[in-house]
Amino acid sequence: MKRATWMAAASVLSQELATTAALLLGVTLVAFLILYLAPGDPFAALLGGRNLSGAERDAAFEALGIPTTWYGQYLTWIAHVLQGDFGISMRSGQPVVREIFSSGIKTLFLTVGSLIVTLAIAVPVAAYSAMQPSSLRARAGTLLVYLFSALPTFWLGYMLIYFFTRKLGLFPILSATDETQEYGWLYALLPVVLLGLCNGTLSEIVRYLREEIARVMNEEYVRTARAKGASTWRHAYKEALLLPVSQIIAAKMPFVLGGAIIVEQVFNWPGLGRVTWQAALDRDYPVIMAITLLAAIVVRIGSFLHRTVYVAVNPRALQQ
Amino acid sequence: MKKKFHQDVDTVSEYSQLSAWKSASTSDRLNVVYGFAVVLVVAVSYVLGAFGWLPHDPEAMDLDTMMADPFTNGYLLGTDFMGRDILTRLILGIQAYFLPSVLAVFIALGLGSLLGVLSGYWRRRFETPVTYFSNLIDSLPRMVLMLLVIAAFRPSIYTIMVVFGITTAPTIAMLVKGKVMMLRERNFIESAVALGLSPGVIIFKHILWFNCRALLLIQATIGMAEAVLLETSLSYLGFGVQEPTPSWGNMVQAGANYLLQGNFWPSTAPAIAIMLTVLGFHLLGDGLNNILEGRQNR
Repeated sequence: MKRATWMAAASVLSQELATTAALLLGVTLVAFLILYLAPGDPFAALLGGRNLSGAERDAAFEALGIPTTWYGQYLTWIAHVLQGDFGISMRSGQPVVREIFSSGIKTLFLTVGSLIVTLAIAVPVAAYSAMQPSSLRARAGTLLVYLFSALPTFWLGYMLIYFFTRKLGLFPILSATDETQEYGWLYALLPVVLLGLCNGTLSEIVRYLREEIARVMNEEYVRTARAKGASTWRHAYKEALLLPVSQIIAAKMPFVLGGAIIVEQVFNWPGLGRVTWQAALDRDYPVIMAITLLAAIVVRIGSFLHRTVYVAVNPRALQQ
Repeated sequence: MKKKFHQDVDTVSEYSQLSAWKSASTSDRLNVVYGFAVVLVVAVSYVLGAFGWLPHDPEAMDLDTMMADPFTNGYLLGTDFMGRDILTRLILGIQAYFLPSVLAVFIALGLGSLLGVLSGYWRRRFETPVTYFSNLIDSLPRMVLMLLVIAAFRPSIYTIMVVFGITTAPTIAMLVKGKVMMLRERNFIESAVALGLSPGVIIFKHILWFNCRALLLIQATIGMAEAVLLETSLSYLGFGVQEPTPSWGNMVQAGANYLLQGNFWPSTAPAIAIMLTVLGFHLLGDGLNNILEGRQNR
């Protein structure tokens, strides 16, 4: 590549990093303010529910070196985070980082796997119904996809568990942490498939992909390709498939994370979703803050990947 | 003589004299009819529930007929695990999400079109802050934000739905912004500006009402569908409407405890109700989209 291209790439990258930093600051600030404005006192909870009077509290804060203003506390949190210290979970007493890391890996498996499942279903259905919108098969496929994304996730999950454990007797009702069984791998796949099937976004993805594919297929360069007998897909796949799919992955990342909360609950999957839920129940402030930050980072990574694909497909975007 | 101004070949069909309904395909019409039927049933059930015109007492337990199949002992849809009439509870369950969802949709549409118009019409001044705001909201997974708010405030379903509305707004803002930017280039908006129409008239009448109402209507149907599913998810996590007040979500959730024993119906009946409703909203949105928006652009 030419030097100018590298320079352009570097400037785009630095711009992206600046945006990301601003957004992460904003997101954590919002989360912090919500928690700060909440009724109840986390400090009192730490003391086992003992309420201190205002003066006692201020004295205790000063002795412990805790700032009393909200911005002071927020800045302290940021300073700690920048040193890699996310604090200690108020519930388990474990360092937050360790707790989130071990469960995050499991959720990563779940979400990435489910995205693959979603795309494996959505892309064919969308492509088929974009090419032949009035064919019976396209309509049946679309309807089926809509049906699945209209079902309550946890109900379908219970039905799947019932079907596989009681009807087929493939495995007992246990969590994924169970010792290996003959069909244990299948049990690990169930939540992945479930999350891929009905995280509620499947219908949205099909709708979006269908629109995009239909639009691109009507573009003049595709028509030209078809007219001269060249492969239309070879000319169209970048704009009709690569871009929308990366866009979807970027845009749907947060929703898949949200869906994981339900699916993990149903399958006793010891992942981040369960940790989030537990933290919300217990008001485990350090854990909630860390999860918010992590989720925002994941979302930004997704959007950055989309940007990269966009530039790779359309290098002119760098020159602007 | 009525003469219409033609801009270019692609937009001619927009001036077609045939009504959109007549030129629509059969499947689109079916979708819209089914969707409207669902909306009607939900609305009527809401009114029935609000006035208390119910077939049975929603909390009366009939301990002799627990988990009955449909059509037993005058229970049209059977009974749940406590012998309560499922049909009654389904009708009453609409109370739990109907008004909050409508509120959420209105907030989403209002905030979304406000942001969209601001950033599309006065790009220089508002595009950067609106984009930042949208990105900010999109960076927080909706479910995580919900749990955050729930953790902090233990709020009612209304507050949760307000949050839902705010988190949906960026999507709508993007769509409205695209539309506004496209319309600003068009001659009729330019001439409206040249004629000295106030921005308020141009925005509310010529942009939002004449050109965005279809888009907003479609987004409203999608929003309703999502709100219904959100209520079920929250109920499952234990943050929704609490028993014994029925909601579709907590009915599925409570019935699911008996599912693994082979008693499908108490949980499946509300699940089917949810499915049919959400499907109705989705198909309504799809059909309206094809009839009002999609086909004319091709």
